Amino acid sequence: MFQDDETLQMYIEESLDHLGDIESDLLTIEEAGENIDLDLVNNVFRAAHSIKGGAGFMGLTTIKDLSHHLENVLGLIRNRELIPDSTRISVLLKGFDQLETLLKNIETSNEVDVSHHITALENITKASVPEEKKEMVSKIVDIVLPDGRIFPQVSLFEMEQYKSEGKNLFLVEYDLIHDIQRKDKNPIEVLNSLQKTGIIIDSRIDFDSVGTLYDDSVPARIPFQVLFASIIEYDMTETLFDIKKQYIHAVSDQMIVSATVKNPDGEPSVMKPIRAPKPTSTEQQISKTIKPAPVENQKQSAISAAKEIKKTEENEEETQSSAEKEMNAAAKPQSSLRVNVGLLDTLMNLAGELVLSRNQLLQGINSSNQKATELSSQRIDMITSELQEAIMRTRMQPIANILNKFSRVVRDLSHQLGKTIDLIIEGKDVELDKTILESINDPLTHLIRNSVDHGIESPMEREQMGKQPTGKIILKAFHEAGQVNIVISDDGRGLHPNKIANSAVDKNLISEQQVSEMSDKQKMELIFLPGFSTAKEVTDVSGRGVGMDVVVTNISNLGGIIELDSVPGEGTDIQIKLPLTLAIIPSQITSVGNERYAVPQVNLNELLRIPAAQVKEKIEKVGDAAVVRLRGELLPLLNLAEMLGIEKTYTVPAVSEELPERRQNLADRRSKHHIITEEGVILDTQDGDADFPQRKTEDRRYHSASAINIAVVSAGAFKYGLVVDKLLDSEEIVVKPVGRHLKKCSAYAGATIMGDGKVALILDISNLAQMAELSAVSEAGQMARAAEEAAAAAKDKAALLTFKNSESEYFAAPLNLVERIERVQTSNIEQIGNSKVVQYRGGALPLYELSQVANFQPLAPRDQQEVIVFKIKDRELGLMVMPPIDALEINLDIDESTLKQPAISGSMIINQHTTLLVDIFEMVKILNPGWFKEEAKAAAEMATSGEKIILFAEDSAFFRNQVKTFMEEDGFKVIEAEDGLVAWELLNKRADEIDIVVTDLEMPNMDGFELTKRIKNDPKYAHLTVIALTSLASEAHIEKGKRVGIDEYEIKLDREKLMKVVRQRLSLSK
Amino acid sequence: MANDIPETFSDELEFSTFFVGGALCGINILNIQEINKHFEITKVPQAPDYIEGILNLRGRIVTIIDLGKKLGLAPVNRSKDSRNIIVNSEDEHIGLLIDAISDVVSARKDSIEPSPSNIGGAKGKFFKGVLKTEKQLIGILDIDEVLKE
Repeated sequence: MFQDDETLQMYIEESLDHLGDIESDLLTIEEAGENIDLDLVNNVFRAAHSIKGGAGFMGLTTIKDLSHHLENVLGLIRNRELIPDSTRISVLLKGFDQLETLLKNIETSNEVDVSHHITALENITKASVPEEKKEMVSKIVDIVLPDGRIFPQVSLFEMEQYKSEGKNLFLVEYDLIHDIQRKDKNPIEVLNSLQKTGIIIDSRIDFDSVGTLYDDSVPARIPFQVLFASIIEYDMTETLFDIKKQYIHAVSDQMIVSATVKNPDGEPSVMKPIRAPKPTSTEQQISKTIKPAPVENQKQSAISAAKEIKKTEENEEETQSSAEKEMNAAAKPQSSLRVNVGLLDTLMNLAGELVLSRNQLLQGINSSNQKATELSSQRIDMITSELQEAIMRTRMQPIANILNKFSRVVRDLSHQLGKTIDLIIEGKDVELDKTILESINDPLTHLIRNSVDHGIESPMEREQMGKQPTGKIILKAFHEAGQVNIVISDDGRGLHPNKIANSAVDKNLISEQQVSEMSDKQKMELIFLPGFSTAKEVTDVSGRGVGMDVVVTNISNLGGIIELDSVPGEGTDIQIKLPLTLAIIPSQITSVGNERYAVPQVNLNELLRIPAAQVKEKIEKVGDAAVVRLRGELLPLLNLAEMLGIEKTYTVPAVSEELPERRQNLADRRSKHHIITEEGVILDTQDGDADFPQRKTEDRRYHSASAINIAVVSAGAFKYGLVVDKLLDSEEIVVKPVGRHLKKCSAYAGATIMGDGKVALILDISNLAQMAELSAVSEAGQMARAAEEAAAAAKDKAALLTFKNSESEYFAAPLNLVERIERVQTSNIEQIGNSKVVQYRGGALPLYELSQVANFQPLAPRDQQEVIVFKIKDRELGLMVMPPIDALEINLDIDESTLKQPAISGSMIINQHTTLLVDIFEMVKILNPGWFKEEAKAAAEMATSGEKIILFAEDSAFFRNQVKTFMEEDGFKVIEAEDGLVAWELLNKRADEIDIVVTDLEMPNMDGFELTKRIKNDPKYAHLTVIALTSLASEAHIEKGKRVGIDEYEIKLDREKLMKVVRQRLSLSK
Repeated sequence: MANDIPETFSDELEFSTFFVGGALCGINILNIQEINKHFEITKVPQAPDYIEGILNLRGRIVTIIDLGKKLGLAPVNRSKDSRNIIVNSEDEHIGLLIDAISDVVSARKDSIEPSPSNIGGAKGKFFKGVLKTEKQLIGILDIDEVLKE
């Protein structure tokens, strides 16, 4: 084999690169079927071709043979002599797979038996070639040069193909020494440049003509022969190849003679093909097996070809799996990386800048010039950030690298299972850190396999359910909030919460008692438990003994989160959230004793500080375990010091000496008397006082430091509070691996170097939980949450901003209408006529107060004035209020009648205060009727041109009235319904009148999703626009809504936007 | 790998010697990356007993091993004489905490004798052999064995 490592490496890399896109190209070709996309076929053809060209030259006989046969089939497709059906594409795909395996194990490639691939490929070729040419397909010829040397083993069929395309054939002899080495080229480059003007059929190095050391005549040349097909005429070739004409031979028919391969002894001594013995023999076998075929008629041979393909496919399964094993054993992480040249230039620039700044810094320090030093330190700060970012970017790779291969996975699997499935891949150019990319491959494969195997039903089943027989899997990647999201959604049978729960009970994973307290979502999440598998029987497709728990573990190891959403019978969404990179992570720094520990921000939910005075009431003991009550949920507490066995020490501030701590447990507050608190402070200041020597060691607990600091963390199914001594800053830390002696310490995910040069350990939140043997989700927590969810589901939730007008008047307004909250100096407020304004961002912001619209107290004069800025009709206005201003999410339970007055839509109890809900629109209407002229006009127009009718379904009477009122104000007629079922009945009765449907989502009897589904699935109503109104639109909701066909999402109290959309939709549908 | 250090032509080896737990030990000088006095060591709770902690050595995290504990001798007391000997093993820097550093000694390879099984109370497997000098015996450490997890 050719031994030049560098050239060989270059060849392998290039070839693998070529192969990279082939799979998806082939799949697209398959899809297109008879409408052959020539460009695409050419792509694949050229790839096979380049691989073959190089292989011949490198002496990689097996690769050459295989790529040659692949190329033949592709050639036929290109000439439209063959229709790429799925059997044929399968053979090609498998051939290319084998080719990839060969390339990856290049050392042993010549010994691999690829005869079954070649037979399969030849059968395809033969089946499609006219009778008289059949012989030619497997015919191998030699080309005899005028001086008697031979270029051996060329496929006659191939040459004929090119000739029939009107190309001229040349045999070009480069000299490896003079034409290539001396000119600073390398053979691959030469081949590549030739590819641009024609097609390389074969290439080899004619070592035999070099002779041996014992020969008398020292040959001056090492001929590097290239058999080349091009449309260029012979006259032009000298300039093209850049060598003398005597070394360029036009191949004429006379030069072609039958191959001499069958008689090795008779071979001219000048020549010996550099060929490993084994492939030669397989080739002989092939020609033998093929011989009897020619007399059969075309059809029959096609059938037999198909049969053989089947047979070989079976064989292949075995060989392939063994090959796969080999590959896995030898699999190394990719060690070289392609980096954009522009990015490298940026890096170079930054490095230059860094050197410059260092010089400046040194100068500054030497001359003790503080200003210069500061300046350069600022510069270095900036350059470092830029450098960091640029270097991180070099690690970023498009996710397409792994997503693309799923088309193949889905195709192969669905064939195997007899399903038809469309895979839609979106967001291929989303970039992720290389290491993450490599590690999500397996989990994603598992999830995709699951979707294909368990998710999508068979075509029959689908039709019975009234679905399209072709299933759909969407694989989507996108950026959101600094994370990469990957969503896998299928429209298959979905997950049945109760089936899952039963199965989990059967497997003794949970008790029935627990199940009865679980929400549907929690039941579905049971599939993440170790030891769970949903398939009734384990299939070899996805049930390989590895469950979803492995997927979850893998993903959380990467700092990612996995979420599940499913509607039985309609499909499943699995969402994975991943950090962009693992190398630098934002973290919360905490400390225990004298050491600092970093908690990755992905795991951190919130920070909790329990003041000394509340420790006793807030922290409870359940059995041995400490728990804290957090918003109705019991959160288990882990004491980091205890877990890690850190000897608790603390530093006496005065002497900065470490002393062991005496407190026994969290609930034990050493201070029995709160009064001493002050005394403790006094103690501190009198640190030299001999009267309190003993106290000092104990009395630390009297300071505020005796409060308990908790980092509330979660990882996978675990959620707990980590008790630490101190909560320090949040920092971006660089993750560094720890040495091999510490690999067994599973509590750490690595280490990092802090600003002061000391090392801090990074905690592995999920392993800590396992060490503490926490149950996945604490039972108490589950109960509390289930109750909460049930309560929340029954009511409408909304985000409100609460504020006061006077000491005793409490108000609230919908948060989504609020632009900002400002604080202005009262002296800056100008009084112009009846109205107040304040200069604000280059304009005047009109200010109002509630006493202007209704019977409330005027605001008390103060130095500063809090202003809530609302945006309505693209204009801003400020409402002057009194603090405290607070935002909260609350279940709306509104009393509309008792306190009804202008600009107030109703009242409710928030935090034990009767709070009035301000109707901002009404307020503006009262204050500034002019702003609504357009609406009035539109309403008037509509009244004359015929009313539009809205069907409006909403269970909350409050919202129903609110929304109905403003719809009617805008000139629409509204048909109301209390729930989805009523709406559906109304629609059936009055179908002709209704122009548009607006529906709430959460409703009793029939919810908005179901209503939409019915509407969209009924051809009578499918044309109707459905707008969903929600109080809180979550991603998951929107996704689910889209699936059933909801056209638009609007927030309930955002009147302006809703009406705009309604109008738009109606004018569109006109 | 520490053992892969090429033998010199003259069979002459140089050993850096040091005291640990009262014994005089030596390491082939070619194994040694550097000797330093950084003691900003971060403790690693739950690590094996002989791990002193981890250290930031110019941006690399280096595990520091208390050589006294590892050899089964008295633990090293950090003092003004104690040092970290940083050795390179399996592409990783590892620090050996020792009591005090001593001379560099050269010796012919064949002058190293097999170690008596009870050398300095330590386990014999950590020693390749002993080297006799005029004043003292030097235990020559087998670094690969010492650094095994």
